[in-house]
Amino acid sequence: MEEIAQKAAVYLAHKNLAGSDFEVTDLSRIHGGASRETYRFRARWTEGGERKERALILRRDPESSLIETARDVEFNAYRAFYPTGVPVPEPLYLETDEKWLERPFFIMEQVENCQAASPFGPDPYGPLADIIGEQFWRHLGTIAGQDPAAIGFAAASDYPALDTCWKVALDYWEGEIDGDALCPQPIAKGAIRWLRRNPPPPPKKIAVVHGDYRTGNFLYDDEGELKTILDWEMCHLGDPLEDIAWAADPLWAFNDPRPGSMIDRDKALAIWSEHSGIEIDPVALRWWEVFSAVKGLAIWISAGKEYEAGNNVDPIMAFSSWYCTDVHNRQLVGWMPDLIKAEGRS
Amino acid sequence: MKPNVQTVMMRSFERILTDIAPHLSSEYAVGSSSVIGLMMFQTATEFERAADIRVEENAAMRKIFSGAVGILPTGDLRFRVEQAASSSDPSLKISELDRANDELTGLLIEIQAHAETVEGLEARDLETQIWDELARAATARRLPHPITG
Repeated sequence: MEEIAQKAAVYLAHKNLAGSDFEVTDLSRIHGGASRETYRFRARWTEGGERKERALILRRDPESSLIETARDVEFNAYRAFYPTGVPVPEPLYLETDEKWLERPFFIMEQVENCQAASPFGPDPYGPLADIIGEQFWRHLGTIAGQDPAAIGFAAASDYPALDTCWKVALDYWEGEIDGDALCPQPIAKGAIRWLRRNPPPPPKKIAVVHGDYRTGNFLYDDEGELKTILDWEMCHLGDPLEDIAWAADPLWAFNDPRPGSMIDRDKALAIWSEHSGIEIDPVALRWWEVFSAVKGLAIWISAGKEYEAGNNVDPIMAFSSWYCTDVHNRQLVGWMPDLIKAEGRS
Repeated sequence: MKPNVQTVMMRSFERILTDIAPHLSSEYAVGSSSVIGLMMFQTATEFERAADIRVEENAAMRKIFSGAVGILPTGDLRFRVEQAASSSDPSLKISELDRANDELTGLLIEIQAHAETVEGLEARDLETQIWDELARAATARRLPHPITG
């Protein structure tokens, strides 16, 4: 830790020519964030004759990640959304030169005095569930309602066609399953074949998709104010229903019928529609819900592969491969027979 | 091996959650040790049932293969399905049961995908049988959680 603190201080001094006497203190690693090593720390420096201080977050690429994405995707998302009113931390520095901290990293504002909830226990928000749920779905609607080009996001991301964005997403995650599976995956493969036989109607618009918008990936304070939305590393352009389906996936609700253990589903979807300006097609949403379980399986399968190979031995990698794979497999076998019957094949 | 593995795993899980994790000063260490404890809890269950689950799954897949031969055209897939239907587990070692399970599951995926392309009641019945077995197996493999059991 001490070595990282020293190197971070040197880097901050390099980036802040107006300041001097940089020091980094109280550096500690945050649990979770299996796609990046995440550290919180306090930076102190002298500027204009005054001693200054700021709480910051360092997100460094691990040697191997739960999600294989470039760190600039996440940093660019923060940069695009920071001026929009969607609560995100202020992004400060993106660094790809490995000379500073051995691996690429970025530094952003630390939003203090708030907490994240675990999706793997009952009723994580308690009496704050209603107030948090309203904000959770409102912010997701606001994200979907943004013009990607106007906020500067489109330039940093591939722009899929309306009628093929489902295929782009499915091809990617099926590729992850096929490439990383440690054993055959009959449930995922059966669900994927159903998804390909029954493509969703195209979205009305291509939107920014957060990619991992769920319980556990935002911070809130003691009054229930949602202070910041995190973990944008899977952010991309696509069908905005992808985010709804992922946020409402039963995995994040621990047997609670309320998506993410917050507010009722109908109310959540109504808030999202109001703030995105997008009407939800239930047939398309059902497709994206099945897709979400497949995407989840792909992530957990990849985590298991990285853990088994010894590339990333964070216990969360093994846990997600055991527990989350189990939940998503059971979810899909509960859904698929009815979906297949509804196809009406003779 | 006494105390048995289940007991040791459960006691260790309790120890980590109540006596060790709360006294760690690093947030990362607390989180990681809690996850390790949770996996010990799940390992206690898995150790007891692992062989039983695999033997039952392998037998169920062989039974499906026996009934599926009729809808398969003569050729490589049918030959492999016939061979698999009459195969048996080499031993009760988990690694060997897993190897057999992987081979059978790979073949199950092939005949399921094939059945989806074939018209007729037999093919639909086969699809139903396969999804029923996948559901049964997924339920049998459900991992316990300390809160929900």
